[in-house]
Amino acid sequence: METLRNTFDFSDFPRIDLMVAGFVAIFLVVFPLVPHSSFAMATMIQFLMFSLYGMGWNTIGGYGGQVDLGKAQYVGIGAYTTAVMLIRWDVPFWFSMPIGVCLAVGWSFIIGYPLFRLTGHYFAIATIATSLVLKDIFEVWDFVGAARGLEISPIKYSPPDFLRLIFKEDIYYYYIILGFFFLGILYVNWFRKSRLGFQLRSIKDNEEVAQSLGINVHWAKIKTYAIATAFVSLVGSFHACYIKNIEPEDTMSLDLSILIALMAMLGGAGSLWGPIIGAGVLIPLKSYLKEWLGAKAGLVGIDLIFYSLIIMVVSAAEPRGIWGIVEKIRRRKQV
Amino acid sequence: MDILVSSLAAGILIGMVLALMALGLTIIFGVMDIVNFAHGEFLMIGMYAGLLTAQSTGMDPILTLPVAAAVGFLLGVICYFGFVKFLLRGPMVAQLLGTFGLMLFLRNLALLVFGSEDKGLHHGILVGKSFDVGMGVIIPATKLAAAGLSVLAFLAVWILMNRTKIGKALTATALDGQGARYMGIPTERMNALAWGIGGTSVTVAGALLVNFWSVNPFVGILFTMIAFAIVALGGFGSVPGAFFAGLVVGIITEIPGIWDFFTYTFNFEWMANVPMTSFKYMWVYLAYFVIMVVRPRGLFGWKH
Repeated sequence: METLRNTFDFSDFPRIDLMVAGFVAIFLVVFPLVPHSSFAMATMIQFLMFSLYGMGWNTIGGYGGQVDLGKAQYVGIGAYTTAVMLIRWDVPFWFSMPIGVCLAVGWSFIIGYPLFRLTGHYFAIATIATSLVLKDIFEVWDFVGAARGLEISPIKYSPPDFLRLIFKEDIYYYYIILGFFFLGILYVNWFRKSRLGFQLRSIKDNEEVAQSLGINVHWAKIKTYAIATAFVSLVGSFHACYIKNIEPEDTMSLDLSILIALMAMLGGAGSLWGPIIGAGVLIPLKSYLKEWLGAKAGLVGIDLIFYSLIIMVVSAAEPRGIWGIVEKIRRRKQV
Repeated sequence: MDILVSSLAAGILIGMVLALMALGLTIIFGVMDIVNFAHGEFLMIGMYAGLLTAQSTGMDPILTLPVAAAVGFLLGVICYFGFVKFLLRGPMVAQLLGTFGLMLFLRNLALLVFGSEDKGLHHGILVGKSFDVGMGVIIPATKLAAAGLSVLAFLAVWILMNRTKIGKALTATALDGQGARYMGIPTERMNALAWGIGGTSVTVAGALLVNFWSVNPFVGILFTMIAFAIVALGGFGSVPGAFFAGLVVGIITEIPGIWDFFTYTFNFEWMANVPMTSFKYMWVYLAYFVIMVVRPRGLFGWKH
C-alpha cells in the first residue's frame, strides 16, 4: 500500500511542473487522433522509445552517477531474444519479452559484478568494451543471423496481431509504447523515493561516506544496473517487433549506447523529467535534421555535424542539461 | 612455423605504430585526467593529412610527417582552447560526452569533406619493396619504416618528457595542478601543450599508418578502442608502459595468424572452423576488460 501510494505520489514537484507534465501527457494520448504525417508518427514512437531508454540509464547514470556507455548490448539481447523466439519457435512478444529481460538482467549480473569494482572513466570505458565484445560475437553467430541480422516478415502473420505485436499501422505500436512509457515514469517515480534510490544518491555524493553508513555499495550498484538493464532490454524487444529488421550494427553499436546516455544527460541526469526532455529535444531534432539536410546530395553527414555541435555546446556550457538551466532560473527567481 | 614468426613480426611492427598512437592518449590522460574519445579521429585526420600531402605534392609518403605533426599540434591546441578547457569545469559525465561530441563532429566533418570511400597510398619509394628475413618471413618495407620511425618519435617524446624543463613542468602539472601553479608553472599552457604533444604523436602515427592501411572517415573508433586498451594495459599516464603495452596489443591483433599456426601444426579440426579473423579486434576489447578488472593500475601505472 505504501509502495502504491509512493508510486502515484508526485506531490514533491512544484505545481507548474505537474501542470506541464499533465498537458504533455494529454497531448501524447490524443496525438494519434489529430492529423499527422507518418514521419511525425515514427518520430513520436522513437521519442517514446528513447525516453524509456533514457529513464533506464537515468537510474544508474543519473541517480547513481555511474556513467554506463554500454547499454546497447542489452538492447541487442532484448531485441534478439524476441526476434529469434518469434522466427524460430513462434513465441509471442508478451512471452519472449520477459525472457529477454531475464537474459539481459542475468548477463548484467555476470558482467556487473567485475565491472563495478571500477569507478569513473575506467568503468565507462570497460562498459564500452563489454558491449563491443558482445556485438562482435553476434556479428559472427549464425544462429542469430550473423552480420546480416534477422528479419521478421509480417506476411506470415495476420495483422493486427496483438500477441506477437505485428501491426500494419503505427498507431498500435504508439499506444503500446505509450503504455510502457507511463509505467516507466511511475516506476522511476517510485524508485527515486525507494530505499535503493536514496542509497544510490548517497553513493553518488560520496562513496566512502555511503559505505561507512552501512550501505553495501557494490551490491546497490549492481541491483540498479539490473533495473536499468530491464528497462533497456524491454524497449529492445519492442524495437524488434516495431522495426522488424535487426542487425548488430544498429541494435548494439556504440553510437546507440552513447545516444541513450545523451538523452538523460542533455535533459538533466538525476531528475525524473530529464530523460523525457532530452529525448523530446534530441529525437525530433535528429530526425528532422536528417530529413532536411541529410537527403541533399553532397551534404552527407551535415545533420550529424549540427547534432554533435549541440552535444559539445551542452556539455561545455551547461553539463547539468536543460533541467539544470530550468532549476537555475528558478533559484534566481526565489532569491 | 613461418606463419607464427611472421604473425609475431607483423604484430610487433604494427604494435610500435599503435604504441605511438596510444602515447598521445596517455599523455593527455596523465596530465589532466580526461579521456579523449576523439583520439581515433585525430589519427584519422593524421592519416588524411599524410595522404593528401603525399598525393598533392607528389612527395614520398615518408616525408609528409612534418606536415602531419604540424596539423596534429594545431588540432590539439585548438581543441584544448576552443573546447576542452570548458569541459574541465564540468563533471566527468560531461567530459565523456563532450569528447564524444568532438569525435562525432570530426568524423562527420571528414565525411563531408573527404567522402566515405576508402583511400590508400600506392606510391613512394618503399611501396612494393620487402625484406626476406629467412624462414619464409617477408616484411614489407613500409611497415618496417613505419615501425622504425614510430620508435624514433616515441624516443623524442620520451626525451621531451624526461630530460627537458618543459617535460618536468608537464609532470608537475600532472602530479598536482594547484601546486604547480604556485610554483609559477603556467598550467593552462601546459595543458594546451599536452594536447599539442598528444595530437602530434597521434597524427604522426596516422601518417605512418596510412602507408599500409587505407583510410575512411570511420576508422577512428577502432583505433580509439585499441588506444584505450594499450593505455589501460600500460597504466594510465605511463609513457614506457604505453610502449610495451603497444607491442603486446600489436601481437594480440595478430591472434588469428597465431591461431592458424596452431591449427595447421597440430591439425585440430575444430580450430579451423572458428571464424577467427572476424574476432580480430574482439581480443583487444576483451584484453581491455580483463586488464581493468584484474589490474586496474596496468603494468606500469602510477595513477588510479
